[in-house]
Amino acid sequence: MKLKTTLCSSICAFLATGVTASAEGLTIWTINYTSDKQVSALTAAEAEFEKLNPGVDVEIVMRGTDEHKTALRVASGSDTGPDIYAYWAGLGLGGEYVQAGMSTDLSSYYESYGWGDRLTGPSLAFSEAFAEGKHGIPFRFSGEVVYYNKGLFEKAGIEGEPETYEDLKAAAVALKEQGIPAFTFGGTVNWHVMRLMDVILETTCGAEKHDALMAMELDWATEPCALEAFTEMKWWTDEHFLKPFMGIDNRQATTLWFGDRAAMMLEGDWHVPTIDENSDMSKYGMFAFPTGTGRLYGFAEYMYISTKSDKADLAAKFLDMFTSDEFQAAHIGAFGALSVNKNVKQGDDALELHKEWLDVFAAADGTFVNGDQAFPLDVTTEYFRVINELASGELEPQAAADAMAAFISTR
Amino acid sequence: MTTTSPIVVAPRKRRDPVLIGLWISLVLVAIIWLAPVAFITFTAMKSESEVFSSAAFALPSKIEWNNFALAWAKGDFNNTFWNSTVITLVKVPLGLVISAMAAYALAQIRFGWNKMLLVFLLFGAMIPFQVMLAPLFTLVNSLSLIDTYPGIILPYLAFGVPYQVFILHGFFKAIPKELTEAALIDGASHFVIFRRIFLPVCLPVLAALLILDFVATWNEFAMALVLLQDKSMWTLPLGLMSFQSQFSNNYSQLNAAIVITVLPATLVYLIFQRYFVSGLTSGAVKG
Amino acid sequence: MLLAPALAIYTLFAIWPLIDVFILSFQDWNGINENREWVGLRNYYHILYNDPVFWVAFRNTVIWTIMSVIFPPVLGLFLALGLNQNLIGRAPLRAIYYLPVIIAPIAVATMWRWMYDPFFGLFTQLLTNAGLAQLIPDWLGDKDVALYSIFVAYVWQSVGFSMVLFLAGLQSVDRSLIDAARIDGANRRKIFEHVTLPALRPTITIVLVLSTISSLKAFDIVYGMTGGGPAQSTQMLALWAFTQSMEIFNYGRGSAVSVVLLTITLAIVVPYMSWSQRREEDAQ
Repeated sequence: MKLKTTLCSSICAFLATGVTASAEGLTIWTINYTSDKQVSALTAAEAEFEKLNPGVDVEIVMRGTDEHKTALRVASGSDTGPDIYAYWAGLGLGGEYVQAGMSTDLSSYYESYGWGDRLTGPSLAFSEAFAEGKHGIPFRFSGEVVYYNKGLFEKAGIEGEPETYEDLKAAAVALKEQGIPAFTFGGTVNWHVMRLMDVILETTCGAEKHDALMAMELDWATEPCALEAFTEMKWWTDEHFLKPFMGIDNRQATTLWFGDRAAMMLEGDWHVPTIDENSDMSKYGMFAFPTGTGRLYGFAEYMYISTKSDKADLAAKFLDMFTSDEFQAAHIGAFGALSVNKNVKQGDDALELHKEWLDVFAAADGTFVNGDQAFPLDVTTEYFRVINELASGELEPQAAADAMAAFISTR
Repeated sequence: MTTTSPIVVAPRKRRDPVLIGLWISLVLVAIIWLAPVAFITFTAMKSESEVFSSAAFALPSKIEWNNFALAWAKGDFNNTFWNSTVITLVKVPLGLVISAMAAYALAQIRFGWNKMLLVFLLFGAMIPFQVMLAPLFTLVNSLSLIDTYPGIILPYLAFGVPYQVFILHGFFKAIPKELTEAALIDGASHFVIFRRIFLPVCLPVLAALLILDFVATWNEFAMALVLLQDKSMWTLPLGLMSFQSQFSNNYSQLNAAIVITVLPATLVYLIFQRYFVSGLTSGAVKG
Repeated sequence: MLLAPALAIYTLFAIWPLIDVFILSFQDWNGINENREWVGLRNYYHILYNDPVFWVAFRNTVIWTIMSVIFPPVLGLFLALGLNQNLIGRAPLRAIYYLPVIIAPIAVATMWRWMYDPFFGLFTQLLTNAGLAQLIPDWLGDKDVALYSIFVAYVWQSVGFSMVLFLAGLQSVDRSLIDAARIDGANRRKIFEHVTLPALRPTITIVLVLSTISSLKAFDIVYGMTGGGPAQSTQMLALWAFTQSMEIFNYGRGSAVSVVLLTITLAIVVPYMSWSQRREEDAQ
C-alpha cells in the first residue's frame, strides 16, 4: 500500500510540474535563427515593446525549424499556443494554417496602422493569397541568387556575369573544360538541389506557366516546358555538379565551395554573412539566375496572429512596432539584405554583397517562390523525390514529369 | 561417428593450430570492431585542419580538448545531459518497481486469468512502438503533456513494463506459491512478503534489468523525437541529431559531440559488464 | 492492486495507441482540423496503389529483414563458438564485440555518417590511400549502395546482441556429451553438427525471432543516416509511417502504413508466442 501511495504521489508531482502557469502577456513563437544579429534583434523587440507598454510581458520562444513546425501542430491540436507565430508564407506552410482558420484576419489593422503603404510589394504578396481578408504581416523577404567564385570564373576565361540562360550554360561548359564543376549542392536536405529545378522551371516555362504548374493547375506530364525543365535539370546534374552530392548536406557543400572545389552556389541573401565569416568577400560575386522573366526567386516569412489569442489588439501593436521605420532602421540587415519596410535602406557600411542585393531587389519584376513553399507538404515530398531520382540518373526527364503528374492526379 | 581422426582426439591440446587460427581471426574481428570507435575518438581530439591533413588512424599531434568544450557549449549539452539524467533516473527505478509489483502479483496471487493478463502484457514486448508514434503523439498531446517529463516518462514506462514483467515473472514463478500463502496466513502483507522473500532472491536480476533499462532509456530516440518538441526538453540523442544537422561541416566538434553522447553509457557498460550478459540471457534464453 | 499501476500505464500508453492507429488508418486527418473524417479504405487504397514510396519501403523492409536474419546471427554464432573455446583474452574480446550494442543507435548513425563522408570520411581515405579512388561510391548518396551502407553499420551494432544470446545457449550444451563424442573420435564438425547444433536449436529460434522483430523496427539508424533518402530509396515502413504522419501530417496514410507493418509483425510474433508458451508448458 505504502508503495502505491508513494508511486502515486510521485506521478502526481510530475503531472503538476507539467502544467505550467500560463504567462501573463504576449507569447511569440519563431524559428531559431543561426545569426546572432537576428537573435539580438528579436530580443531587442521584446525589451522595447515592454518598455513602450508597461505591464506587458513579452515572451519570444525560438525553436529549430522542424521543432517549430511540429510545435505549431501541437498547439493547433490543443488550447495552448502563442499569440503570434512566425511562419513561411507559402501554401504548404503558413498558407495551410491560414486555410485551417488558425490565422486572424488582420484587414482592420492593415487599415488602421497603414501597413499596406509601409511594406514592400514582393513581401506583401502572400497576405491575401490563401483566404478572405489579410493574413499575417511580412517581417522578412529572402531572395536567392547565384554566388560565384571570381577566381574560378577567371580561370575558365568567363568574362562578365552570365546574362542569359545560354550564357550560364556556356559558362558551365567553359568551367568543365578546366575541370571545375559549375555548382555544388548538398543532396541530403532535398531543398538545396530543388532550388536549381525551381529556377530552371521558371526559365523554360515563363512566369505564368511556372505558377500554374506550381499551383497544380497545369498537367506536368503534357506540358512541354515541364519536360524541358527536367531535361535541362538532367544536363546540370549529369555533367556540372560537384560529385558526389547526394550524400552530403548544404553545409558540407558550402565548405567545399569555400575550398574552391566548385564555382557556383544557388543561395539566399543569408549567404552573405556566411561568406563574410568564412572567407574573403572580394573573392565572390553574385548575379540573379538568368531565368529571363525578371522575377526574383525567394520567399517571405510572416508573423501571424493566432485565432486562439485573446490579445489580438496587443499583438497587432507589437507587429506594428516590429515593422516600423524606427525599429527596422535600428536592426537593418538583421533579417536579410532588404527590410520589408520600404522606407528603410542599408547604409554605406553595409557588406559589399548586401549592397549588390539591393540592386537585385530593385531590379526584380515580381517574385516566385521555392517549390517547397508553393506545394502542399505531400507534393513537396514527391517533388523532392522526383528531382533526386532524376539527379541520380534513375529517372529520365519524361518519366520524371509523368511521376509528378501521376502523384498530383491521385492525391 | 567413429571415423578415425586421431590428431584432434586429445582434448585441450596445447598450441592446437586450429585454435590459434581461430584466436587470430577473433582478434582481427575485434580490431575491426574497435576501429570506428578509435577513428571517432581521434578525430574528436584533432584540430579542424589536422582532420583534413592527417591520416585517419594517425594519433592527434596535440589533443584539442577545446573541441569538447566548444561542442558542449554549442550543442547545449548542459541542458540535454540534465534532461536525459532526470528522465532516466526517474523512469528506470519507477519502472522496475511497478514491473516487479505486477510480476509478483501475476506469479503469486491467483486471479483465474493470470495467464491471459501475462500474454496481454507480453504482447507489448513484441510490438514495435515505432508504428504507434503518431497516435502516441496525439494521445500525449491531448493530455497536454508534450514537452514535459511525465509526457515522456509515462510512455517509456508503458513500453518498458512488458519485457521486465516477463523476465521477473519467470523468476518469481520459481518460488512456490505455498510459501507465500503460508506467510499470508501468518498475517504478513504482500509488501512484507515481497521484501523479505522475493527481493533477496531476485536482486541480481533486478540489477541486470536496471542497467539494461538504463542504457535503453538513455539511448532512446524515436519516442523522444515525437514527444519532446521543445529544445529545452531535449535528451542527448535529440541534441546529437540536431548538432549533426547544424554543424555537419565542423568535423572535429561533431566527433567530440558523439564522444560526449556515447561516453556515459559506455562507462556504465564497462563497469557493470557482467550484468549485461546475465540480464540479457536470463530472460531471453531461459524463458 | 499490485498490478494496477503497470496495467493502467501499459493500457493507456501502449494498447490505446495501438487501437488508435487502427482507427486513424480509416480516417482522414491532418492534425489541425477538429474532426477526423471517416474515409473507409481510401488510405489503404492510396498507399497500395498510388503511393510511389510505399512499395520501395516495403521492399527495403523485406530486404533488410532477410539480411538481418542472416548476417548478424551467423556472425554472432561464429564469434560465440570462438569465444566458447578456452582462449586467452576471452573476456576483453567479448566486451569489444558487445560494445556497439550499448551505443545509442542515433550515435551509431552519426558516427557512420561521418565515416561514409564522400570527401573526408574514413572509407574514402582508406580507399584513396589504397589507390582505389575511382572505386569510391557515394556511400549514402547512391541509391544502389545506400541501403547496404546503412546495413553494414547495423551489423556492426547488432552482432554483439546475437553473440551474447548464443554464448548463453552454448552454456546449456552438455559438456559431457561433447567429451563422449570426442572419445568416440568425432571431429569438430561432427560434434558441432550432432551435439552442439541440436542443443542450440531453441536459442537459434529465439535469436532469429528477436532479430526479425528488431529489424522491423529499424528506425533510428535509417533516420540518422539518410532520413530515407536519397530519393526515398532507403525508406522503411516504420520510417515512412512516421514521415507521413509527423512530417507530412497525413495521419490517416501514416497509420495505414503502420497497420501494414503491424500485420507483418503479428504474423511473426503470434506463432512465436504460442510456440514459447507451449515450450514453457512442456517444461513444467
